[in-house]
Amino acid sequence: MAAITTPSNTAPALTFPRPIFATVAPHPFLQAHLAATKSSKTPLRANNRTAQEFRRIGVNTGSLTHCNGSAVVRLGNTSAVCGVRAEILKEEDVQGTADFAPSTGSKAQEHVEGEREEFESLRLLVPNVELSTGSTPQHIPGNAPSSFAQTLITRVRSLLLSTSLVRLSDLRILYTPPSNPDDPDAEPEPHLKGYWVLYMDIFYISIDGNAFDAAWIAILAALKNSVIPHAFWEEELETILCSDDPSEAHPLALRGLPVPSTFAVFEGKRDWNESGEDDEVDWVLSDPDAFEESVCKESVCVVVDCSGGKKGTKDGILNKLEKSGGGVVDREAIKGLVKRAVDRWEEVEKATNVKP
Amino acid sequence: MAANTDRRRINAPSGGTSAPVFAKTVLESGYLQSLRPNRTRGPNELRKTFLQTGIVPSASGSAYLEVPTASSSQSTLIPPTSSLKIAASIQGPKPLPRSAPFSPTLVLTTTVKFAPFATRHRRGYIRDSAERDLGVHLETALRGVIIGERWPKSGVEVVITILEGDEDAWWGDSGAEGGAGSGFGLLNVLAGCITVASAAIMDAGIDCVDMVAGGVAAVTGDGQKVLDPCPAEHQDLVAACAVGYLASRDEITEIWLKGDVGADPDELIEGATHAALGSVSVLREVLLENMEAKMNITKEGSKRKLEDVEMTG
Repeated sequence: MAAITTPSNTAPALTFPRPIFATVAPHPFLQAHLAATKSSKTPLRANNRTAQEFRRIGVNTGSLTHCNGSAVVRLGNTSAVCGVRAEILKEEDVQGTADFAPSTGSKAQEHVEGEREEFESLRLLVPNVELSTGSTPQHIPGNAPSSFAQTLITRVRSLLLSTSLVRLSDLRILYTPPSNPDDPDAEPEPHLKGYWVLYMDIFYISIDGNAFDAAWIAILAALKNSVIPHAFWEEELETILCSDDPSEAHPLALRGLPVPSTFAVFEGKRDWNESGEDDEVDWVLSDPDAFEESVCKESVCVVVDCSGGKKGTKDGILNKLEKSGGGVVDREAIKGLVKRAVDRWEEVEKATNVKP
Repeated sequence: MAANTDRRRINAPSGGTSAPVFAKTVLESGYLQSLRPNRTRGPNELRKTFLQTGIVPSASGSAYLEVPTASSSQSTLIPPTSSLKIAASIQGPKPLPRSAPFSPTLVLTTTVKFAPFATRHRRGYIRDSAERDLGVHLETALRGVIIGERWPKSGVEVVITILEGDEDAWWGDSGAEGGAGSGFGLLNVLAGCITVASAAIMDAGIDCVDMVAGGVAAVTGDGQKVLDPCPAEHQDLVAACAVGYLASRDEITEIWLKGDVGADPDELIEGATHAALGSVSVLREVLLENMEAKMNITKEGSKRKLEDVEMTG
């Protein structure tokens, strides 16, 4: 407690109710919580979690009628709705498919790199977010998307592309003619007739910190829940038609399950009389809420995927590491954070596997 | 599409995309008609409503309304009808910015936005005329209820997000496809907006003269009056009316009437107020629940204070 006493404190101690203390002096408020030296108890944050504790995830899928897949995700007080909608991009509307067309024949070998380029140049994945739904007082409708919204969606899109989550083979609409026009004896080759374009729209109902994790888990759950109708080229009508039979439709086969975990670093005020002694004054908080985000400058986002190997959480891949805003987290600390992210992965995996 | 040039969002392919066309609807002529939903409730029976307040903790008041559909078929990927899902959030009342001109009463701003996935046709992110229209109608409905004189120089934002909206007509009927349909679905959406906004205002604790509730009634081709019509279930609606109704004062703050009513519109308006009474009863229950929850929180809050972390400053 010594850490926060100010020189003006010689007067009789002034006490405030909690909410007023939090608004007037957010930084000392959180520090007082984290540095509390109550015996035998781990210090809790203002939101009653320990520094390492994430919020519980609630996932509810398939509730929207007009979507191929949808999910509502709740992380404490942050909740987001994601709807995935598939529409058809016709081959004649695309410039330069000739570059990609030859690879359609050899489905066996998948060129992840080439796929990524095709996704990016054709814009087959269209994620978007809307924050101005009254979800927070900062985002009032009527304004253009804020820089926060733009950063958020760019991060989501780059993660979508860099993890190659969606397979191109799921989105291609191929047509195999009954006979090969060049050589009647040879196997007919499939032609590319169009693509499915996935629109992923995320609407926040409420934001209380960690919007990125919520957005990504919502997309993940919605994609897992998505069903793409069987599409085929109808030669007589010269158009792409779909079958409305659910048994013919296919789910999206996702590559792995990358899960982000966001951490905020809280830098406590050091007591400058003690020359940097052993006092723990920096905390890395898992899954920060809006109040904590407002007092923390440094943040780390770790994306891990443990679904590749057979050994569960012992065998994971680090997909992405983002760190900005400060220099508290060093190499050792990052290692610890990756471990925490792996633990989180397990929780998210369980939550997203729940069938509606 | 205006969204094509929006550089602040992720854009769709420039070639444009089209919604999937299902083979059976094109190749088999009778198939589409077999999917047509039918009204199974009586003409005076309302659909069930789910209403909840307090879904957005950072807002001063919020509510969520859902009117589920009766049937969901498992044999086809084509959804038969949509249901109504609306979220409302109130920001404020808070002081107006210094640059704003003086206002002796509360400045009410209403925004209604459809989510892109709310309707059968994908919507854009820029607000269109239907959404602005709904916003104005909602503002009229609410303005008469709020006692604005108690908040001079302040403003309040009512933000409505429609996650799923009723359709104008059953989508299989030609003509309704292009979105140029009769617009009866919008009336249902407006009634839902009024009810959910009223619940959110109640949650925010803004002083009102009464609870306003929305209701819709319609007249079918054979002159029958139906309450709470789901446009998809009726092929032959000729007129419909949505009202914002104050039940205990027996006043109407908003009327939106569409179609050919004939000589006597009063009966239709009367019907709409009856439908609104159904919403009022839901609102009352939610208000009670809300009050009870708030009482419990204050009790627990005082308990929590005792075991609080000690702090000085």
